[in-house]
Amino acid sequence: MADMICGAGFDSFLTGTIVPLVAYATIITATLIAISFMLGRFLSNPKLTLWSKTEIVQLLVSVATVIFIPVVVNTFCTLDMGEVGDIFGISGTSGSVYASAKEFLLGAAVYAHNAATVARYQLEGYTVVSYFNAMICEIQVGGGVGLGCLFGQGSDTIQPLGGYGAVMGALNVAFNSSLMSYFTAMNFLMILLFVYRGFVFLFLPLGVFLRSMPYMRPFGSLMFAVAMSFLIVYPLMLGIFGLMSGVILDPPLDVGDYDESVFPESEQGAEILGSSFGGEDYVFDLYLGGKDDVPGAMAFAATAFIAGIFFPTLALLATIASVTYVARLYGDEIDLSRLTQLV
Amino acid sequence: MKKLMLLLLLVPLAFATWQTVAAMAIITSAALLAGVYILGFGLGINELQILAKEELFQLIALMVMMVALWGGDGILNGISVSPEFAGESATMQDASLEILDAWTADVEATLNEMKSMDKAISVEASRGGQCSLFGMGYSVTACGGYSMLAAPLSMAGSISGFAMAEVAAMRRLVEITIDYGLSFILPLGIILRTFKMTRGAGGFLIALAVSMHIMLPAGIIFNSMLAETFLADSVASADYPSSPQGVTIMECEPLNTRGSIGDSIVTAFASLGTNIDTDSNEGKAAQAYKDMRGSIRSYLYVLLIEATIGPIIALLLMIGSLRALSVAAGTDVDVSAISRFV
Repeated sequence: MADMICGAGFDSFLTGTIVPLVAYATIITATLIAISFMLGRFLSNPKLTLWSKTEIVQLLVSVATVIFIPVVVNTFCTLDMGEVGDIFGISGTSGSVYASAKEFLLGAAVYAHNAATVARYQLEGYTVVSYFNAMICEIQVGGGVGLGCLFGQGSDTIQPLGGYGAVMGALNVAFNSSLMSYFTAMNFLMILLFVYRGFVFLFLPLGVFLRSMPYMRPFGSLMFAVAMSFLIVYPLMLGIFGLMSGVILDPPLDVGDYDESVFPESEQGAEILGSSFGGEDYVFDLYLGGKDDVPGAMAFAATAFIAGIFFPTLALLATIASVTYVARLYGDEIDLSRLTQLV
Repeated sequence: MKKLMLLLLLVPLAFATWQTVAAMAIITSAALLAGVYILGFGLGINELQILAKEELFQLIALMVMMVALWGGDGILNGISVSPEFAGESATMQDASLEILDAWTADVEATLNEMKSMDKAISVEASRGGQCSLFGMGYSVTACGGYSMLAAPLSMAGSISGFAMAEVAAMRRLVEITIDYGLSFILPLGIILRTFKMTRGAGGFLIALAVSMHIMLPAGIIFNSMLAETFLADSVASADYPSSPQGVTIMECEPLNTRGSIGDSIVTAFASLGTNIDTDSNEGKAAQAYKDMRGSIRSYLYVLLIEATIGPIIALLLMIGSLRALSVAAGTDVDVSAISRFV
């Protein structure tokens, strides 16, 4: 998707769609300003002539902005984040700012998904073993054999591995948190792809026109501020966090140990006999052997939260702060802080 | 061709330190400002001249910040290695990692204690007895009273899970700040702050670096100090031991229906806290409940003071600092979204 904004497709989209739209918007706005100026002269109305003079300067500012944005986008496409990392002694993966941002969010989503996989595996394992029943025949003569079942049935039944409610409560927290991290990372990725698809560029012609219309300048400025911040600051912040992936996306567990199924691939007579007579340790090892790591699953979920929610949210906060800042550049005060409530 | 030229321009950056890059960023910004001022002067646009002047002040402020960073880097490191904060560790970040490791071990021990209690209870709750001969017989499950103990343990497990996750998240943030706080995030923030477009992001990164590097470990260390002070007060902490206390679960007799029917249910629960008839299964379950209730305080220290309040204090300190420093760095970031993580 980063190719969309950095490849030939973007150039054709820009020159074929955005530039003509901006040109139309500029011509229409300039025409309106010119008419207003002439009308002001004709009617000897200084308000109209003054408005026209002000707006022509604002139109120039708008057009300059529209020229500025593709220049920055091209720069970000050329800038190699791997080289930026080298400046600070960080070994990061090569790629443009846009590619690095996408890679970071993809990595965060995969990381959160892996955390969910680890929690889910253990949840399933504990659930399976907790439903095992054992029948203990009366009159034990040793070795687990009871005479009570010889001629009829005299026995007790228990669930020897039934008591994992506390552990499953903890694992449920990990599972839910990991899923939340996964969805949030995907949500931020969707915002990024929305930017990469170039839809924000459509804000530019609208911004050019609206900024010069009476009472509409704040709205037009908002268009520019949003376009600039989400094209520049949001990917840049994510790309910067991507350089820190070595620590942010460092898994506390090897997810390769946790496949999708806790049941043995093939259950032969040995497993059935073992489950029947091998005791609770055998059953536990059969389904969870060596993979029951609740603290590891909790740590994985926590670090997935940091990777999938905390840092992308910081990127969004910085972007929103930037919107406010850029809007101020155009002489408007815009408060988008309520957007953070979406997080 | 255009991209190649840009790439050639950026090649020197690969061999530069961050200070050089920051200096280059400042020079570039100053050149751009000069251009804006000239344009404003030439076209007689006052707004552009005012903008250029305003930005020049920002550039001067940034240079002051850079100088402060060169000096402040030593101050921040000085705070980090101060024995008051770092104790026997090399830095306060290392000290906070050691504290977090100890808290993790405590929460794990707590969860393991719950696990063994839970297992004992569930085994007893699942007991059933049966007897049959030639197809005739009976089956009795007289241990259902123990089932009431599973729900609070499940909830306690969830709380332990949250606690464990909070400590692990704190640990990851401290690891990040050790590796990147002052060496990457802070200088990068200064460079980004040079340009108007990225000033918000730059100021935010500066605030984030300092907050994560100092306030987060400080919060963890402060909480550890508070907890140690609390434990040192033998009177106050007498009822809140620092290690969890297990509960003995009496064995259930699946065929013993005494106490499971009739008036003895009332007797068993009415006498909770005084004399419980532990000859009945109902009484044994009630006794286990009473013991568990009595041992709750031994879990509170680890789960609440160490693993819940500790991270909350650290995060609040960090977020408060982030907000204040962001404003100082010229960016008003609404960090309420992060506050909701607490």
